Amino acid sequence: MKGYAGSILRVNLATGQISKEPTPAEMARDYLGGRGFGIYQLFKEVPKGADALGPQNKLIISTGPLSGMLIPGGGKCDWTTKSPLTGGYASASMGGHFTAEMKYAGYDSIILEGVSPKPVYLLIEDGKVQLLDAAHLWGKGAFDVEVEFKHKYGEEYQIAAIGPGGENLVLYACINHDFGRQAGRGGVGAVMGSKKLKAIVVRGTKSVEVADPEGYRKAGMALYKACKDAEGLAEWTRYGTTVVTSWCDEVGALPTRNFSAGSFEGGEKIYGQTMRKEIVITDKGCFGCPCPCGKYSHMKRYGTYVEGPEYETIGLMGSNLGIADIQAVGEANRLADDLGVDTISAGNCVAWAMECYEKGILTKEDTDGLELKFGNIEATFALIKNIAHRQGKLGNLLADGVKRAAEKIGKGSERFAIQVKGMEQSGYATHSATSMLLAYMTCDVGAHHNRAWAITYDLQVGRSLVVPEKVARVIWLQNFRPMFDVLGACRLQWVELSIDRDLYVPAMEAITGIHRTWEDMEAVGNRIWNLTRLFWMRENEDFGRSWDQPSPRFFEEPPKTGATAGQITSYEDVQRLLDMYYEQRGWDNNGLPTPATLEKLNLAQIAS
Amino acid sequence: MPATIKAYGMLKTYLHGQNEASVEHGLTIRQALAVLGIPSELVAFVIVNDEQKSKDYCLQDADIVKVMAVMGGG
Repeated sequence: MKGYAGSILRVNLATGQISKEPTPAEMARDYLGGRGFGIYQLFKEVPKGADALGPQNKLIISTGPLSGMLIPGGGKCDWTTKSPLTGGYASASMGGHFTAEMKYAGYDSIILEGVSPKPVYLLIEDGKVQLLDAAHLWGKGAFDVEVEFKHKYGEEYQIAAIGPGGENLVLYACINHDFGRQAGRGGVGAVMGSKKLKAIVVRGTKSVEVADPEGYRKAGMALYKACKDAEGLAEWTRYGTTVVTSWCDEVGALPTRNFSAGSFEGGEKIYGQTMRKEIVITDKGCFGCPCPCGKYSHMKRYGTYVEGPEYETIGLMGSNLGIADIQAVGEANRLADDLGVDTISAGNCVAWAMECYEKGILTKEDTDGLELKFGNIEATFALIKNIAHRQGKLGNLLADGVKRAAEKIGKGSERFAIQVKGMEQSGYATHSATSMLLAYMTCDVGAHHNRAWAITYDLQVGRSLVVPEKVARVIWLQNFRPMFDVLGACRLQWVELSIDRDLYVPAMEAITGIHRTWEDMEAVGNRIWNLTRLFWMRENEDFGRSWDQPSPRFFEEPPKTGATAGQITSYEDVQRLLDMYYEQRGWDNNGLPTPATLEKLNLAQIAS
Repeated sequence: MPATIKAYGMLKTYLHGQNEASVEHGLTIRQALAVLGIPSELVAFVIVNDEQKSKDYCLQDADIVKVMAVMGGG
């Protein structure tokens, strides 16, 4: 198969057995790569009802046909598993340089199975693969682990590691790479920790055979040229994702004090331009990227450095905690990364706890003495550490995610636990943005934004409208955008530089030798979307419409301040959105794919 | 001398296919957008002479202003 590494590496942590098998041609044909490979193998190999943190669950890392290639941003890999946070499908995309090395080492997927009896790390040097003792690394932060391996093996080796959060099975623990890139969401780090796998170190030196080398060179160069010629390249590169912070504040989408509002009175102190002036020291890009959006920052007050913060972290660990201080946000980011917990979920959990504290639902006795008011920076730092180490009553409670924490505490706190399917909501307040609200409700991993980012569309056509066109837009985005995670390339060149997506078509054809239009690839996206739905259904007997409901905050409590003051989506409109969505997807009234839909998508056999 | 507003991406549609337009200095960016018929809430990003500014920035003589929407998010 042209454009693929050709092999799957299977590592059994329990027995130490390491084996290689050819990448199935039909899997490449029907699922292409990346998260397509992830869900296909997860569905087939992980038995129904497997404990997400037990030996039957698997952690599957996959590259795609564009990974490691002459393609802008061809540095993405996918980490798929059964989520310990949600009990459903988890898929986390990671940038950096890991993917290219993995593919050059010869692997389209790495399947990690079983549980090791002791801490280990996986060393991959092309075909030579070893499990080695990691007892001396257990307990260390992810940054220290990466530094140690860079010194031991050299700069060319790429590392993915967990911090204490993963070791302690924090249900939203992340996996860190390249001192600031993460496979962030859904608890992939907890699954790695449950397997006692501290890190993966990889180096590859092989080449990847393509179908048409000259066509590949031309198509790749055309993509790079389009990026270099793009309007806004310099501005996007200068600010990266932080560019949207001021805009979100202006339009009422910036999560503020546990999503009770969408505009923050201290917003200017965390805007992208403030960050650029105060803490950014350089730009940092991933493999093959012509527009490096990563920002490397120095927080002078703390004497520390971090890659970031990205917009999501600014929203969730800044305004959502009432913190108007970019240095403090950067330091919270650094702590979370090093300790190995997802900043989005952790920010939500701390914000929920702050609201509980301010409402008297939690007292100092419950918070282990922390004065947990919005804006308290030191309390935020302390609580992030407690969560990662499962220290204290509150740290341990929040380590299980906001849904479980609210169910345990009760007293109405469930109404302001901001999550869908058990995953904490990422950085867009959706009191009055019905497409974006629907995107969160129906996202295949829980309340995450990156499948269908539709908020500009809401503002274009009318933010409170509930019409079939909005639903169709969300579905199209869900089928199309995640295809970048399938192909193994970053979507931001298309998203923010607006390069013509058709430029990818000849590149894919030259690499794989197979002509596929975007329509063809969107059909693959649709198949993958439905297969993830089947996984949720299989793993949760009561799965259906009730799992697609947003936090009540978005239909019960209009913000009192900011651009969306007084605005809310009614509960009836929320249900209308779902009705239209299910109908357009070919699902029944409970949100389950119909037999006809499965047949059409060639999923009937796998579902049976 | 008037300031120049350059619209990128989808915002060009509000300038009837043109890439740029002139507005009098002394207006804020927000006021200039209103004059040109560009919906302010669609403009995510304002760059004045290569530096990001807020929409409350008051246009100076011969400023070059780039305005962009954000279509995709993270």
